[in-house]
Amino acid sequence: MDRINPGRVAFLTLVSAIFAFVLLPLVAIVWAAFFSDKILTFPPSGYSLSWFSRAWALSEFSSGFIMSLQVGILATVFSLLLGVPASLAIERFPFKGRETVRQLLLSPMYVPAIVAGAAVYIYFIQIEIFTDVQVAGTSPGLVIAHTLVALPWTMRLICASLVTANSSSEEAARSLGANGFQTFFLVTLPIIRPGIIAAAMFSFIASFSDLEKSLFLVGPGKATLPIAIVNYLEWNLDSTIAAVATVQIFIIGAALLLSDRYVKLGKAF
Amino acid sequence: MQNEGRTGLKSSALVLPALALVTLFLLAPLGLIARYSLDQFDPVKLMLGVFQLDNYAKAFGDPFYQRVLATTAQIAGLSTVIVVLLAFPVAYCISRVQTERIRSLLMILTILPLLLGNAVRSAAWMVVMGTKGVANSMLLGLSLVDEPLKILYTPTAVVIALVSVLLPYAIITMQSVIDSIPKSLEEAGQSLGYSPFRTVLSVVLPLAMPGVVAAAAICFALGMNAYATPVLIGGPKMQMMGPLVYEQIAKVSNWPFGSTLACILMAATVVLTVISTSYLTRRYF
Repeated sequence: MDRINPGRVAFLTLVSAIFAFVLLPLVAIVWAAFFSDKILTFPPSGYSLSWFSRAWALSEFSSGFIMSLQVGILATVFSLLLGVPASLAIERFPFKGRETVRQLLLSPMYVPAIVAGAAVYIYFIQIEIFTDVQVAGTSPGLVIAHTLVALPWTMRLICASLVTANSSSEEAARSLGANGFQTFFLVTLPIIRPGIIAAAMFSFIASFSDLEKSLFLVGPGKATLPIAIVNYLEWNLDSTIAAVATVQIFIIGAALLLSDRYVKLGKAF
Repeated sequence: MQNEGRTGLKSSALVLPALALVTLFLLAPLGLIARYSLDQFDPVKLMLGVFQLDNYAKAFGDPFYQRVLATTAQIAGLSTVIVVLLAFPVAYCISRVQTERIRSLLMILTILPLLLGNAVRSAAWMVVMGTKGVANSMLLGLSLVDEPLKILYTPTAVVIALVSVLLPYAIITMQSVIDSIPKSLEEAGQSLGYSPFRTVLSVVLPLAMPGVVAAAAICFALGMNAYATPVLIGGPKMQMMGPLVYEQIAKVSNWPFGSTLACILMAATVVLTVISTSYLTRRYF
Protein backbone atom coordinates (compact mmCIF):
# COMPACT_ATOMS: atom_id res chain seq x y z
CA MET A 1 0.00 0.00 0.00
CA ASP A 2 2.71 2.42 0.99
CA ARG A 3 4.92 2.17 -2.06
CA ILE A 4 5.04 5.30 -4.17
CA ASN A 5 2.70 5.18 -7.08
CA PRO A 6 1.76 8.04 -9.42
CA GLY A 7 -1.97 7.86 -8.67
CA ARG A 8 -1.39 8.18 -4.95
CA VAL A 9 1.02 11.09 -5.42
CA ALA A 10 -1.46 12.89 -7.68
CA PHE A 11 -4.25 12.36 -5.14
CA LEU A 12 -2.21 13.67 -2.20
CA THR A 13 -1.07 16.66 -4.29
CA LEU A 14 -4.69 17.49 -5.10
CA VAL A 15 -5.73 17.28 -1.44
CA SER A 16 -2.78 19.44 -0.34
CA ALA A 17 -3.62 22.00 -3.01
CA ILE A 18 -7.22 22.24 -1.73
CA PHE A 19 -5.99 22.70 1.85
CA ALA A 20 -3.57 25.35 0.61
CA PHE A 21 -6.39 27.15 -1.18
CA VAL A 22 -8.34 27.47 2.09
CA LEU A 23 -5.39 28.15 4.38
CA LEU A 24 -2.99 30.30 2.33
CA PRO A 25 -5.10 33.49 2.52
CA LEU A 26 -4.97 33.15 6.32
CA VAL A 27 -1.20 32.68 6.19
CA ALA A 28 -0.96 35.75 3.94
CA ILE A 29 -2.92 37.98 6.32
CA VAL A 30 -0.88 36.86 9.35
CA TRP A 31 2.30 37.51 7.33
CA ALA A 32 1.05 40.98 6.32
CA ALA A 33 0.56 41.92 9.97
CA PHE A 34 4.35 42.05 10.38
CA PHE A 35 5.24 44.20 7.33
CA SER A 36 7.03 47.47 7.92
CA ASP A 37 5.72 49.21 4.75
CA LYS A 38 2.96 51.79 5.17
CA ILE A 39 1.22 50.60 2.01
CA LEU A 40 0.59 46.89 1.72
CA THR A 41 3.02 45.42 -0.85
CA PHE A 42 4.21 41.88 -1.36
CA PRO A 43 6.92 41.02 -0.63
CA PRO A 44 7.63 43.59 2.12
CA SER A 45 10.79 45.69 2.35
CA GLY A 46 11.12 44.89 6.06
CA TYR A 47 9.35 43.68 9.15
CA SER A 48 7.91 45.43 12.19
CA LEU A 49 5.61 44.83 15.15
CA SER A 50 4.25 48.37 15.20
CA TRP A 51 0.88 47.50 13.59
CA PHE A 52 -0.30 45.67 16.67
CA SER A 53 0.15 48.73 18.88
CA ARG A 54 -1.33 50.97 16.18
CA ALA A 55 -4.39 48.70 15.96
CA TRP A 56 -4.81 48.78 19.73
CA ALA A 57 -4.49 52.59 19.67
CA LEU A 58 -7.49 52.83 17.33
CA SER A 59 -10.48 52.99 19.67
CA GLU A 60 -12.78 51.04 17.33
CA PHE A 61 -10.52 48.00 17.59
CA SER A 62 -9.64 48.17 21.27
CA SER A 63 -13.24 48.81 22.35
CA GLY A 64 -14.52 46.27 19.79
CA PHE A 65 -12.14 43.68 21.17
CA ILE A 66 -13.22 44.34 24.75
CA MET A 67 -16.89 44.29 23.76
CA SER A 68 -16.53 40.98 21.88
CA LEU A 69 -14.68 39.49 24.83
CA GLN A 70 -17.34 40.60 27.34
CA VAL A 71 -20.29 39.55 25.19
CA GLY A 72 -18.60 36.25 24.34
CA ILE A 73 -17.92 35.38 27.99
CA LEU A 74 -21.44 36.34 29.12
CA ALA A 75 -23.07 34.45 26.24
CA THR A 76 -20.95 31.38 27.07
CA VAL A 77 -21.93 31.48 30.75
CA PHE A 78 -25.64 31.88 29.96
CA SER A 79 -25.62 29.22 27.29
CA LEU A 80 -24.01 26.76 29.74
CA LEU A 81 -26.50 27.70 32.49
CA LEU A 82 -29.39 27.03 30.10
CA GLY A 83 -27.85 24.29 27.96
CA VAL A 84 -26.40 21.92 30.58
CA PRO A 85 -29.73 21.38 32.43
CA ALA A 86 -31.61 21.06 29.13
CA SER A 87 -29.11 18.49 27.79
CA LEU A 88 -29.35 16.58 31.07
CA ALA A 89 -33.15 16.42 30.79
CA ILE A 90 -33.00 15.30 27.16
CA GLU A 91 -30.39 12.58 27.67
CA ARG A 92 -31.20 11.37 31.22
CA PHE A 93 -34.92 11.87 31.89
CA PRO A 94 -36.79 10.73 28.79
CA PHE A 95 -40.01 12.70 28.36
CA LYS A 96 -42.64 13.01 25.69
CA GLY A 97 -41.64 15.15 22.73
CA ARG A 98 -37.99 15.26 23.70
CA GLU A 99 -36.84 14.93 20.06
CA THR A 100 -38.91 18.01 19.18
CA VAL A 101 -37.41 19.88 22.13
CA ARG A 102 -33.92 18.83 21.03
CA GLN A 103 -34.55 20.10 17.49
CA LEU A 104 -35.98 23.37 18.83
CA LEU A 105 -32.93 23.97 21.00
CA LEU A 106 -30.61 23.23 18.06
CA SER A 107 -32.69 25.35 15.67
CA PRO A 108 -30.74 28.62 16.16
CA MET A 109 -28.01 26.85 14.17
CA TYR A 110 -30.30 26.24 11.19
CA VAL A 111 -31.78 29.74 10.91
CA PRO A 112 -29.65 31.90 8.59
CA ALA A 113 -27.74 34.45 10.69
CA ILE A 114 -28.80 37.41 8.56
CA VAL A 115 -32.50 36.42 8.81
CA ALA A 116 -32.31 35.82 12.57
CA GLY A 117 -30.45 39.12 13.04
CA ALA A 118 -33.07 41.06 11.07
CA ALA A 119 -35.96 39.36 12.89
CA VAL A 120 -34.52 39.91 16.37
CA TYR A 121 -33.74 43.56 15.54
CA ILE A 122 -37.35 44.25 14.44
CA TYR A 123 -38.66 42.34 17.47
CA PHE A 124 -36.50 44.37 19.89
CA ILE A 125 -37.70 47.64 18.40
CA GLN A 126 -41.30 46.47 18.74
CA ILE A 127 -40.64 45.65 22.40
CA GLU A 128 -39.30 49.16 22.81
CA ILE A 129 -42.40 50.67 21.17
CA PHE A 130 -44.73 48.72 23.49
CA THR A 131 -42.82 48.95 26.77
CA ASP A 132 -40.52 51.97 26.39
CA VAL A 133 -37.60 49.71 27.34
CA GLN A 134 -34.73 49.94 24.89
CA VAL A 135 -33.29 46.53 23.92
CA ALA A 136 -31.89 46.95 20.42
CA GLY A 137 -28.49 48.64 20.58
CA THR A 138 -27.95 47.71 24.24
CA SER A 139 -25.54 45.19 25.72
CA PRO A 140 -28.27 42.96 27.24
CA GLY A 141 -29.90 42.75 23.80
CA LEU A 142 -26.61 41.74 22.22
CA VAL A 143 -25.92 39.17 24.96
CA ILE A 144 -29.38 37.60 24.43
CA ALA A 145 -28.72 37.27 20.69
CA HIS A 146 -25.26 35.82 21.29
CA THR A 147 -26.57 33.34 23.86
CA LEU A 148 -28.80 32.04 21.05
CA VAL A 149 -25.74 31.76 18.77
CA ALA A 150 -23.92 29.77 21.47
CA LEU A 151 -26.76 27.54 22.76
CA PRO A 152 -26.78 24.94 19.92
CA TRP A 153 -23.01 24.38 20.31
CA THR A 154 -23.46 23.84 24.05
CA MET A 155 -26.38 21.48 23.46
CA ARG A 156 -24.56 19.45 20.83
CA LEU A 157 -21.35 18.99 22.82
CA ILE A 158 -22.97 18.37 26.22
CA CYS A 159 -25.48 15.89 24.76
CA ALA A 160 -22.68 14.05 22.95
CA SER A 161 -20.70 13.93 26.19
CA LEU A 162 -23.71 12.62 28.17
CA VAL A 163 -24.39 9.92 25.58
CA THR A 164 -20.79 8.65 25.72
CA ALA A 165 -20.65 8.82 29.53
CA ASN A 166 -22.15 5.69 31.00
CA SER A 167 -25.11 6.48 33.26
CA SER A 168 -24.41 3.49 35.53
CA SER A 169 -22.25 5.47 37.99
CA GLU A 170 -25.12 7.94 38.34
CA GLU A 171 -27.51 5.06 39.02
CA ALA A 172 -25.06 3.66 41.57
CA ALA A 173 -24.92 7.04 43.34
CA ARG A 174 -28.72 7.20 43.42
CA SER A 175 -29.06 3.68 44.81
CA LEU A 176 -26.54 4.58 47.53
CA GLY A 177 -28.91 7.34 48.62
CA ALA A 178 -27.57 10.45 46.87
CA ASN A 179 -30.29 12.90 45.86
CA GLY A 180 -30.60 14.45 42.40
CA PHE A 181 -28.42 17.46 43.18
CA GLN A 182 -25.69 15.42 44.86
CA THR A 183 -25.66 12.98 41.95
CA PHE A 184 -25.36 15.80 39.45
CA PHE A 185 -22.65 17.79 41.20
CA LEU A 186 -20.61 14.87 42.57
CA VAL A 187 -20.97 12.31 39.78
CA THR A 188 -22.35 13.64 36.47
CA LEU A 189 -20.52 16.95 36.42
CA PRO A 190 -17.02 15.49 36.91
CA ILE A 191 -17.76 12.88 34.21
CA ILE A 192 -18.86 15.42 31.60
CA ARG A 193 -16.23 18.04 32.53
CA PRO A 194 -14.30 17.63 29.23
CA GLY A 195 -17.58 18.11 27.33
CA ILE A 196 -18.35 21.26 29.33
CA ILE A 197 -14.92 22.74 28.59
CA ALA A 198 -15.32 21.99 24.87
CA ALA A 199 -18.86 23.41 24.92
CA ALA A 200 -17.60 26.59 26.58
CA MET A 201 -14.81 26.96 24.01
CA PHE A 202 -17.08 26.43 21.02
CA SER A 203 -19.80 28.68 22.46
CA PHE A 204 -17.25 31.43 23.01
CA ILE A 205 -15.83 31.02 19.52
CA ALA A 206 -19.30 31.08 17.95
CA SER A 207 -20.10 34.32 19.77
CA PHE A 208 -16.69 35.95 19.29
CA SER A 209 -16.65 35.39 15.52
CA ASP A 210 -20.31 36.25 14.88
CA LEU A 211 -20.82 39.07 12.42
CA GLU A 212 -24.28 38.83 10.88
CA LYS A 213 -26.42 38.76 14.03
CA SER A 214 -24.54 41.53 15.79
CA LEU A 215 -24.66 43.72 12.69
CA PHE A 216 -28.26 44.74 13.40
CA LEU A 217 -27.98 44.85 17.17
CA VAL A 218 -24.96 46.99 18.09
CA GLY A 219 -25.86 50.53 19.05
CA PRO A 220 -24.71 53.61 17.13
CA GLY A 221 -20.97 54.19 17.54
CA LYS A 222 -20.48 50.75 19.09
CA ALA A 223 -19.10 47.64 17.41
CA THR A 224 -17.96 44.13 18.15
CA LEU A 225 -14.55 43.17 16.76
CA PRO A 226 -15.88 41.49 13.56
CA ILE A 227 -18.06 44.54 12.84
CA ALA A 228 -15.13 46.90 13.43
CA ILE A 229 -13.13 44.79 10.97
CA VAL A 230 -15.84 44.97 8.28
CA ASN A 231 -16.35 48.74 8.76
CA TYR A 232 -12.61 49.36 8.47
CA LEU A 233 -12.30 47.13 5.39
CA GLU A 234 -14.87 49.13 3.49
CA TRP A 235 -12.37 51.98 3.25
CA ASN A 236 -8.91 50.59 4.06
CA LEU A 237 -6.76 47.56 3.48
CA ASP A 238 -3.45 47.73 5.34
CA SER A 239 -1.26 45.99 7.89
CA THR A 240 -3.39 47.40 10.76
CA ILE A 241 -6.35 45.25 9.75
CA ALA A 242 -3.99 42.32 9.21
CA ALA A 243 -2.78 42.74 12.80
CA VAL A 244 -6.36 42.75 14.11
CA ALA A 245 -7.24 39.67 12.07
CA THR A 246 -4.08 37.95 13.31
CA VAL A 247 -5.11 38.53 16.93
CA GLN A 248 -8.54 37.01 16.23
CA ILE A 249 -7.00 34.04 14.40
CA PHE A 250 -4.70 33.30 17.35
CA ILE A 251 -7.42 33.64 20.00
CA ILE A 252 -9.75 31.27 18.13
CA GLY A 253 -6.90 28.91 17.23
CA ALA A 254 -5.88 28.71 20.91
CA ALA A 255 -9.47 28.01 21.99
CA LEU A 256 -9.73 25.28 19.34
CA LEU A 257 -6.46 23.62 20.35
CA LEU A 258 -7.53 23.75 23.99
CA SER A 259 -10.84 22.04 23.27
CA ASP A 260 -9.07 19.46 21.12
CA ARG A 261 -7.30 18.28 24.27
CA TYR A 262 -10.64 17.52 25.91
CA VAL A 263 -12.80 16.11 23.12
CA LYS A 264 -11.82 14.39 19.92
CA LEU A 265 -12.84 16.97 17.34
CA GLY A 266 -13.28 14.30 14.70
CA LYS A 267 -15.95 12.73 16.89
CA ALA A 268 -17.53 15.79 18.46
CA PHE A 269 -18.09 17.73 15.29
CA MET B 1 -46.90 6.25 37.49
CA GLN B 2 -46.06 8.71 40.22
CA ASN B 3 -42.40 8.35 39.40
CA GLU B 4 -43.07 9.13 35.74
CA GLY B 5 -44.97 12.25 36.72
CA ARG B 6 -42.04 13.40 38.83
CA THR B 7 -39.47 12.89 36.06
CA GLY B 8 -41.81 14.77 33.74
CA LEU B 9 -41.90 17.70 36.16
CA LYS B 10 -38.17 17.57 36.68
CA SER B 11 -37.34 17.51 32.97
CA SER B 12 -39.67 20.41 32.21
CA ALA B 13 -38.01 22.48 34.94
CA LEU B 14 -34.62 21.70 33.40
CA VAL B 15 -35.66 22.31 29.80
CA LEU B 16 -37.99 25.29 30.14
CA PRO B 17 -35.47 28.14 30.56
CA ALA B 18 -33.61 27.19 27.36
CA LEU B 19 -36.89 26.59 25.53
CA ALA B 20 -38.17 29.99 26.68
CA LEU B 21 -35.07 31.71 25.29
CA VAL B 22 -35.47 30.07 21.87
CA THR B 23 -39.22 30.69 21.77
CA LEU B 24 -39.09 34.31 22.92
CA PHE B 25 -36.03 35.45 21.00
CA LEU B 26 -36.01 33.31 17.86
CA LEU B 27 -39.41 31.82 17.07
CA ALA B 28 -41.43 34.89 18.08
CA PRO B 29 -39.21 37.27 16.04
CA LEU B 30 -39.47 34.95 13.02
CA GLY B 31 -43.26 34.94 13.42
CA LEU B 32 -43.19 38.72 13.59
CA ILE B 33 -41.28 39.15 10.32
CA ALA B 34 -43.57 36.60 8.63
CA ARG B 35 -46.47 38.86 9.61
CA TYR B 36 -44.69 42.08 8.59
CA SER B 37 -43.80 40.63 5.20
CA LEU B 38 -47.54 40.90 4.43
CA ASP B 39 -47.77 44.51 5.58
CA GLN B 40 -47.39 47.64 3.47
CA PHE B 41 -44.56 50.16 3.81
CA ASP B 42 -45.48 53.78 4.53
CA PRO B 43 -42.77 56.49 4.56
CA VAL B 44 -44.42 58.29 7.50
CA LYS B 45 -46.15 55.61 9.57
CA LEU B 46 -43.61 52.88 8.64
CA MET B 47 -46.39 50.28 8.32
CA LEU B 48 -50.12 50.39 7.65
CA GLY B 49 -51.16 47.18 9.42
CA VAL B 50 -52.72 45.56 6.36
CA PHE B 51 -52.50 42.05 4.94
CA GLN B 52 -51.48 41.73 1.29
CA LEU B 53 -49.00 39.93 -0.96
CA ASP B 54 -47.65 42.98 -2.84
CA ASN B 55 -44.16 42.63 -1.31
CA TYR B 56 -43.84 39.08 -2.59
CA ALA B 57 -45.12 40.19 -6.01
CA LYS B 58 -42.45 42.92 -5.97
CA ALA B 59 -39.66 40.55 -4.92
CA PHE B 60 -40.46 38.05 -7.66
CA GLY B 61 -41.87 40.44 -10.30
CA ASP B 62 -39.71 43.57 -10.26
CA PRO B 63 -36.80 43.13 -12.75
CA PHE B 64 -34.27 44.58 -10.29
CA TYR B 65 -35.13 42.12 -7.52
CA GLN B 66 -35.48 39.28 -10.01
CA ARG B 67 -31.90 39.98 -11.02
CA VAL B 68 -30.73 40.00 -7.38
CA LEU B 69 -32.45 36.65 -6.80
CA ALA B 70 -30.94 35.23 -9.99
CA THR B 71 -27.42 36.50 -9.12
CA THR B 72 -27.73 35.04 -5.61
CA ALA B 73 -28.86 31.65 -6.92
CA GLN B 74 -26.16 31.61 -9.63
CA ILE B 75 -23.30 32.54 -7.29
CA ALA B 76 -24.50 30.10 -4.61
CA GLY B 77 -25.09 27.36 -7.21
CA LEU B 78 -21.74 27.69 -8.96
CA SER B 79 -19.89 27.83 -5.62
CA THR B 80 -21.77 24.73 -4.44
CA VAL B 81 -20.80 22.69 -7.54
CA ILE B 82 -17.12 23.61 -7.15
CA VAL B 83 -17.22 22.98 -3.39
CA VAL B 84 -18.74 19.51 -3.79
CA LEU B 85 -16.12 18.53 -6.39
CA LEU B 86 -13.23 19.74 -4.21
CA ALA B 87 -14.58 18.52 -0.86
CA PHE B 88 -15.01 14.87 -1.83
CA PRO B 89 -11.30 14.00 -2.29
CA VAL B 90 -10.39 15.85 0.92
CA ALA B 91 -13.16 14.16 2.91
CA TYR B 92 -12.11 10.76 1.53
CA CYS B 93 -8.48 11.46 2.42
CA ILE B 94 -9.27 12.50 6.03
CA SER B 95 -11.58 9.54 6.45
CA ARG B 96 -8.95 7.03 5.30
CA VAL B 97 -5.99 8.43 7.25
CA GLN B 98 -4.95 5.74 9.72
CA THR B 99 -2.70 7.73 12.04
CA GLU B 100 -4.93 9.32 14.68
CA ARG B 101 -2.63 12.33 15.13
CA ILE B 102 -2.56 13.23 11.44
CA ARG B 103 -6.31 12.77 11.25
CA SER B 104 -6.82 15.08 14.22
CA LEU B 105 -4.46 17.66 12.67
CA LEU B 106 -6.35 17.56 9.37
CA MET B 107 -9.65 18.02 11.23
CA ILE B 108 -8.26 21.08 13.05
CA LEU B 109 -7.00 22.53 9.75
CA THR B 110 -10.47 21.99 8.29
CA ILE B 111 -12.42 23.40 11.23
CA LEU B 112 -10.19 26.38 12.10
CA PRO B 113 -11.10 28.49 9.02
CA LEU B 114 -14.77 27.68 9.57
CA LEU B 115 -14.62 29.05 13.10
CA LEU B 116 -12.72 32.25 12.31
CA GLY B 117 -15.84 34.05 11.18
CA ASN B 118 -16.64 35.72 7.90
CA ALA B 119 -15.04 39.09 8.70
CA VAL B 120 -11.52 37.70 9.11
CA ARG B 121 -11.85 35.31 6.17
CA SER B 122 -13.00 38.07 3.85
CA ALA B 123 -10.14 40.28 5.06
CA ALA B 124 -7.72 37.46 4.23
CA TRP B 125 -9.05 37.15 0.68
CA MET B 126 -8.83 40.92 0.23
CA VAL B 127 -5.13 40.74 1.13
CA VAL B 128 -4.69 38.04 -1.52
CA MET B 129 -6.81 39.57 -4.27
CA GLY B 130 -6.20 43.32 -3.86
CA THR B 131 -4.38 45.37 -6.53
CA LYS B 132 -1.23 45.24 -4.40
CA GLY B 133 -2.12 41.88 -2.93
CA VAL B 134 -0.29 38.57 -2.95
CA ALA B 135 -1.77 37.30 -6.22
CA ASN B 136 -0.95 40.43 -8.21
CA SER B 137 2.52 40.81 -6.69
CA MET B 138 3.30 37.25 -7.71
CA LEU B 139 1.93 37.68 -11.23
CA LEU B 140 3.84 40.96 -11.68
CA GLY B 141 6.99 39.51 -10.13
CA LEU B 142 6.92 36.56 -12.50
CA SER B 143 6.17 38.98 -15.38
CA LEU B 144 3.04 37.04 -16.25
CA VAL B 145 1.07 40.31 -16.46
CA ASP B 146 2.16 43.90 -17.16
CA GLU B 147 -0.27 45.64 -14.85
CA PRO B 148 -2.21 44.40 -11.80
CA LEU B 149 -5.30 42.34 -12.64
CA LYS B 150 -8.62 43.52 -11.28
CA ILE B 151 -9.64 40.49 -9.26
CA LEU B 152 -11.33 42.04 -6.23
CA TYR B 153 -14.89 43.35 -6.72
CA THR B 154 -15.73 40.85 -9.50
CA PRO B 155 -18.25 37.97 -9.40
CA THR B 156 -15.33 35.55 -9.92
CA ALA B 157 -13.72 36.86 -6.73
CA VAL B 158 -16.97 36.29 -4.82
CA VAL B 159 -17.18 32.69 -6.07
CA ILE B 160 -13.52 32.02 -5.16
CA ALA B 161 -13.96 33.42 -1.64
CA LEU B 162 -17.32 31.71 -1.15
CA VAL B 163 -15.87 28.35 -2.22
CA SER B 164 -13.22 28.66 0.49
CA VAL B 165 -15.85 29.67 3.06
CA LEU B 166 -18.11 26.72 2.22
CA LEU B 167 -15.47 24.00 1.72
CA PRO B 168 -15.03 23.13 5.43
CA TYR B 169 -18.80 22.55 5.87
CA ALA B 170 -18.86 20.20 2.88
CA ILE B 171 -15.71 18.37 3.99
CA ILE B 172 -16.96 17.59 7.52
CA THR B 173 -20.42 16.61 6.24
CA MET B 174 -19.02 14.18 3.66
CA GLN B 175 -16.24 12.90 5.90
CA SER B 176 -18.69 11.69 8.53
CA VAL B 177 -20.60 9.70 5.89
CA ILE B 178 -17.46 8.23 4.30
CA ASP B 179 -16.30 7.23 7.81
CA SER B 180 -19.29 4.94 8.07
CA ILE B 181 -18.48 3.08 4.83
CA PRO B 182 -16.56 -0.09 5.76
CA LYS B 183 -13.07 -0.23 4.31
CA SER B 184 -13.63 -3.92 3.53
CA LEU B 185 -15.89 -2.91 0.64
CA GLU B 186 -12.98 -1.10 -0.99
CA GLU B 187 -10.73 -4.10 -0.42
CA ALA B 188 -13.37 -6.23 -2.10
CA GLY B 189 -13.35 -3.86 -5.07
CA GLN B 190 -9.57 -3.98 -5.30
CA SER B 191 -9.51 -7.76 -5.08
CA LEU B 192 -11.73 -7.75 -8.18
CA GLY B 193 -8.91 -5.95 -9.92
CA TYR B 194 -10.31 -2.40 -9.75
CA SER B 195 -7.77 0.40 -9.64
CA PRO B 196 -7.94 2.54 -6.45
CA PHE B 197 -9.47 5.37 -8.50
CA ARG B 198 -12.13 3.12 -9.96
CA THR B 199 -12.84 1.60 -6.53
CA VAL B 200 -13.55 5.05 -5.09
CA LEU B 201 -15.70 5.98 -8.08
CA SER B 202 -17.78 2.82 -8.21
CA VAL B 203 -17.83 1.70 -4.56
CA VAL B 204 -17.30 4.67 -2.23
CA LEU B 205 -18.98 7.45 -4.20
CA PRO B 206 -22.38 5.73 -4.61
CA LEU B 207 -22.45 4.90 -0.89
CA ALA B 208 -21.37 8.43 0.02
CA MET B 209 -24.09 10.04 -2.12
CA PRO B 210 -26.31 10.95 0.88
CA GLY B 211 -23.38 12.92 2.29
CA VAL B 212 -22.72 14.56 -1.06
CA VAL B 213 -26.34 15.65 -1.50
CA ALA B 214 -26.58 16.87 2.10
CA ALA B 215 -23.35 18.83 1.75
CA ALA B 216 -24.59 20.41 -1.48
CA ALA B 217 -27.88 21.46 0.15
CA ILE B 218 -26.09 22.93 3.19
CA CYS B 219 -23.59 24.83 1.03
CA PHE B 220 -26.26 26.19 -1.29
CA ALA B 221 -28.25 27.46 1.70
CA LEU B 222 -25.18 29.08 3.27
CA GLY B 223 -24.18 30.57 -0.08
CA MET B 224 -27.59 32.17 -0.59
CA ASN B 225 -27.47 33.70 2.88
CA ALA B 226 -23.90 35.00 2.56
CA TYR B 227 -23.38 38.56 3.74
CA ALA B 228 -19.72 39.45 4.35
CA THR B 229 -18.35 37.86 1.18
CA PRO B 230 -20.60 39.74 -1.29
CA VAL B 231 -20.22 43.02 0.63
CA LEU B 232 -16.43 42.98 1.03
CA ILE B 233 -15.23 40.87 -1.91
CA GLY B 234 -18.02 41.76 -4.33
CA GLY B 235 -18.09 45.47 -3.58
CA PRO B 236 -21.07 47.82 -3.85
CA LYS B 237 -22.10 46.67 -7.33
CA MET B 238 -22.50 43.05 -6.25
CA GLN B 239 -26.18 42.72 -5.36
CA MET B 240 -27.07 39.62 -3.39
CA MET B 241 -29.94 38.75 -1.04
CA GLY B 242 -28.05 38.90 2.29
CA PRO B 243 -26.75 42.46 1.91
CA LEU B 244 -30.13 43.52 0.49
CA VAL B 245 -31.97 42.31 3.62
CA TYR B 246 -29.59 44.38 5.76
CA GLU B 247 -29.99 47.45 3.55
CA GLN B 248 -33.81 47.29 3.49
CA ILE B 249 -34.22 46.80 7.23
CA ALA B 250 -31.34 48.68 8.86
CA LYS B 251 -30.71 51.46 6.34
CA VAL B 252 -33.95 52.15 4.44
CA SER B 253 -36.22 51.03 7.32
CA ASN B 254 -38.58 49.36 4.85
CA TRP B 255 -39.51 46.62 7.30
CA PRO B 256 -42.27 44.99 5.23
CA PHE B 257 -40.12 44.51 2.14
CA GLY B 258 -37.01 43.65 4.16
CA SER B 259 -39.07 41.06 6.06
CA THR B 260 -40.31 39.65 2.75
CA LEU B 261 -36.75 39.17 1.48
CA ALA B 262 -35.77 37.60 4.82
CA CYS B 263 -38.78 35.24 4.64
CA ILE B 264 -37.81 34.19 1.10
CA LEU B 265 -34.30 33.35 2.33
CA MET B 266 -35.79 31.53 5.33
CA ALA B 267 -38.15 29.49 3.12
CA ALA B 268 -35.32 28.51 0.76
CA THR B 269 -33.17 27.56 3.75
CA VAL B 270 -35.94 25.46 5.33
CA VAL B 271 -36.45 23.51 2.07
CA LEU B 272 -32.69 22.91 1.73
CA THR B 273 -32.38 21.94 5.40
CA VAL B 274 -35.19 19.41 5.03
CA ILE B 275 -33.40 17.96 1.99
CA SER B 276 -30.09 17.71 3.83
CA THR B 277 -31.54 16.27 7.05
CA SER B 278 -33.55 13.70 5.12
CA TYR B 279 -30.20 12.41 3.88
CA LEU B 280 -28.36 12.79 7.16
CA THR B 281 -29.19 12.28 10.78
CA ARG B 282 -26.92 15.05 12.03
CA ARG B 283 -25.84 18.44 10.85
CA TYR B 284 -22.53 20.01 11.54
CA PHE B 285 -22.96 23.75 11.87
